[in-house]
Amino acid sequence: MNEENKEKFVITVKSNTKDLFAFTKLVPNRRKRFEKASSEPIKSDPINDLARKLHPERQYLKISEIIDETESAKTFKLIPDPELGTKGLAYFRAGQYLSLKEIVNGVEITRPYSISSSPSEALEGFYNLTIRKEEHGFLTNYIWDNWKVSTKVVSSGPEGFFYFDPLRDLKNVVGIAGGSGITPFRSLAKAIIEGKIDAKLSILYGSSEEDDIIFYEEFKKLEKEYPDKLKIIHVLSCDVVSLDGCETGFITAEIIEKYCDVKNSTFFICGPQIMYDFVIKQLERFELPQKRIRREAFGEIKDIINYPGFPKEVTEKTFKIKVQIGNVTKEIPARATESVLVALERANLAPPSKCRSGECGFCRSLLISGDIYVSPISDWRKAADKKFNYFHPCYSYPISDLEIKVPRHL
Amino acid sequence: MSEQNAEQTINDSYDVVIIGAGNGGLTAATTLAMNGAKVLLLEQHNLPGGFASSFVRGRFEFETSLHEMDEFGPESNQGAVKRLFEKRYNLNIDMVRVPEAYRLIITDPENKVDVTMPFGVEIFLDKLEEEVPGCRESVQKFFDIALEIRNAFQYFMKTRGRPDQQVLFKEYTNFLKTAPYTTQEVQDTLGIPKKAQDILNAYWCYLGLPMNRVTFTLFAMMIFTYLDFGGYIPINRSHGFTTALDAKIREFGGRIEYNTKVEKIIVENGKILGIETSKGDKIKTHNIISNASPTLVYNNLIYPKSEVPEIAIKEVNARIHGLAGFVVYLGLDASADELGLKEYSYFIMDGTSEKIYESWSKLQTPAGQATVCLNNAIPNCSLPGTSILFITTLFKPEVWFDVQPEDYVDLKNKIAKGLIEQFEIAIGVSVKEHIEEIEIATPVTFARFTRTYNGGIYGYEMEPWDSIIARFMSMEGDKHIEGLEFAGGYGSRGHGYNSSIGSGNVAALYTIAKLKKEGVLK
Repeated sequence: MNEENKEKFVITVKSNTKDLFAFTKLVPNRRKRFEKASSEPIKSDPINDLARKLHPERQYLKISEIIDETESAKTFKLIPDPELGTKGLAYFRAGQYLSLKEIVNGVEITRPYSISSSPSEALEGFYNLTIRKEEHGFLTNYIWDNWKVSTKVVSSGPEGFFYFDPLRDLKNVVGIAGGSGITPFRSLAKAIIEGKIDAKLSILYGSSEEDDIIFYEEFKKLEKEYPDKLKIIHVLSCDVVSLDGCETGFITAEIIEKYCDVKNSTFFICGPQIMYDFVIKQLERFELPQKRIRREAFGEIKDIINYPGFPKEVTEKTFKIKVQIGNVTKEIPARATESVLVALERANLAPPSKCRSGECGFCRSLLISGDIYVSPISDWRKAADKKFNYFHPCYSYPISDLEIKVPRHL
Repeated sequence: MSEQNAEQTINDSYDVVIIGAGNGGLTAATTLAMNGAKVLLLEQHNLPGGFASSFVRGRFEFETSLHEMDEFGPESNQGAVKRLFEKRYNLNIDMVRVPEAYRLIITDPENKVDVTMPFGVEIFLDKLEEEVPGCRESVQKFFDIALEIRNAFQYFMKTRGRPDQQVLFKEYTNFLKTAPYTTQEVQDTLGIPKKAQDILNAYWCYLGLPMNRVTFTLFAMMIFTYLDFGGYIPINRSHGFTTALDAKIREFGGRIEYNTKVEKIIVENGKILGIETSKGDKIKTHNIISNASPTLVYNNLIYPKSEVPEIAIKEVNARIHGLAGFVVYLGLDASADELGLKEYSYFIMDGTSEKIYESWSKLQTPAGQATVCLNNAIPNCSLPGTSILFITTLFKPEVWFDVQPEDYVDLKNKIAKGLIEQFEIAIGVSVKEHIEEIEIATPVTFARFTRTYNGGIYGYEMEPWDSIIARFMSMEGDKHIEGLEFAGGYGSRGHGYNSSIGSGNVAALYTIAKLKKEGVLK
């Protein structure tokens, strides 16, 4: 364009005078429009209200009933504690968990537990958490000793991504459960039976002893009543089996093939890591696309020294971590074989956490200096977080002295 | 509050407190910290960025909201954001140019269009002339005016919103004469053929107002800027540059606290005294830059309520809150090539902007979507044999008001399914069978993570009466509390990445000028 040789085009929308006049009136007219508006403050925000109902930061609960499921497993029925401000329970998707916040021996910690009741029961006013006592379980030992009817419990909103999605998953759902990994499948089974989810669920449930099977009678009954919606196969790894219709050993490819339409199913796996490792090997034979196999987060790693690339020479070491959290700066000890999150909790710094599996990112913190080990098979950090030294303390292990900045818990 | 939390409380004083680490809050904090101010940036979420973020599901890292930034540009033609980041902040962000402006598909049988438009004003014009013979002259005039508008804005910035009227009238006549009008009015005046308008205006959904309502000035400038600079995106998703800004703020000595929600802005006699937070912090400051909207600040945060000026509430009430977002994020187990997706950016519309805007008032699959196949701009954004597709549409927030928690998932899945099918039919590809990961964000999701009023992702609607020019010329008149500035999508420049990034910088410059005048900064 050669502007100088060309006469400039000048637009006229209404008329030259009207256009220019309208321009000069822009500011005064806007002011007038403001002055004429209502002076009534806005009091409602329904979308944020719905967001808080679905995803409350905290739920104040209390135990209304305790059911002994097996020798080592109990179901805790939790109801809202209106005195502390929780009037109703957040609805959820079958398979989600609650992160409990508990003070154990004066130290504030969190633990995730899958909800075993159905979503519609949350609307009726309760969640069930079915918890198995672990041999050296820091929290479960505390729970067995302390939780009684009317004990108060603080939890997060429903969390996690281990749920059926009709746009993604096939209607034949195979749940592979080990031990207390059965809990999310009870919720899913109930949601399917209630007609909330259009799917058919086959559960392969591995237990080491007959006495360890949770929900045995209930599943048997439901299976009989809803044969087109639910099927359960117990797989027992003990030597002597007295129950009818059980498989023995582990959940092998042969067992999977015997009971499931492998090529037309979506597999959901929830159980201890050792079971997951076994099952995933078995499933490899079927060459299923990755999208057909979904797994619940592992939870805490118990044997980090066996992970690929972990520097074994630091195994016995305890390092120092200089922590900034809010206005507190503190130096704390940290064992190489325990996650940075555990070190923070031991020091009673009340750090944020939810999934404790490296996945949710709620504990995301800044590594100012030092080196950490993150297992390459469960590294859920974002690309830019890796670049700018943000890390997830729940799945990171100190392999030198560290300096870190941790956000305060919500 | 537990014992630990009480110990961790922050009770310091700061030159400036910034509320919210969205794009505007981040740039405000960076500019202030760079200039030596003692800065505290507070964010209620545990990540920077607000809408400008990312999230990981399975083996995919999804972009939350950005389709393309328009004021970045190449080395040879640097946009304002590039200059701010690279020249001022010395911050290098890995950005790539997206391959084409857009592929526009209008499915309405009466006005069918399927065209892929290139970046570059001249080649865009050539292509448009090819599609609509005889439109060139009128569209050229449109671009000439758009360029004049951009120059006028630079003049406005230079004169800090106090332009010499003589210069305006002489040099920027077209800018003045089009300012009071809608895009429709001006484009009709220019005689741009209907079909050419449809193709030219595809970006309209980025502003979220139909052509018969959106201010011409901003709209014309937006199109021109996209075509002139090209669209750019960060390689590591929006989280890539917001985390880079986070690092820069700390490098300049600024402090950031996540998980910390401002609950009160303490005001006395029209002046800021400090803030209080959800963590029990009581922080002294005389200056606040708020990335939270005037709606939230004047209705919820100012304490005591008697310090809220009546006119501030009236201003909020006079305006229409912009639209809320709805996004379907898909991680697919087939490459873009295998799927047959050649373009990065798709606009699929079943009719006019008015018709689509209208469809956002109903709780059903809307009549339009803007969809991105990320791999066609960043080939390795996901593993080989996979791809990332995200479908964006909008809603008037109020249509979500009566949704019950137990119906929420089914509802969003139903709308998402409709959008996926709309895409499959329009492009002639099959997506559904490849879904490995899916996440659906609704207005509720945006509210959950950012606490934006009613889940809105766009600021106040930009009609001619409240156009950016009227806002610029009212800058001082719009300020009601000494020491309080706004940044972000609800600020004077309106929404969108460039606007919110720029607004934070401008708010910081105002605050720096004030701090200098007071002798706090040299």
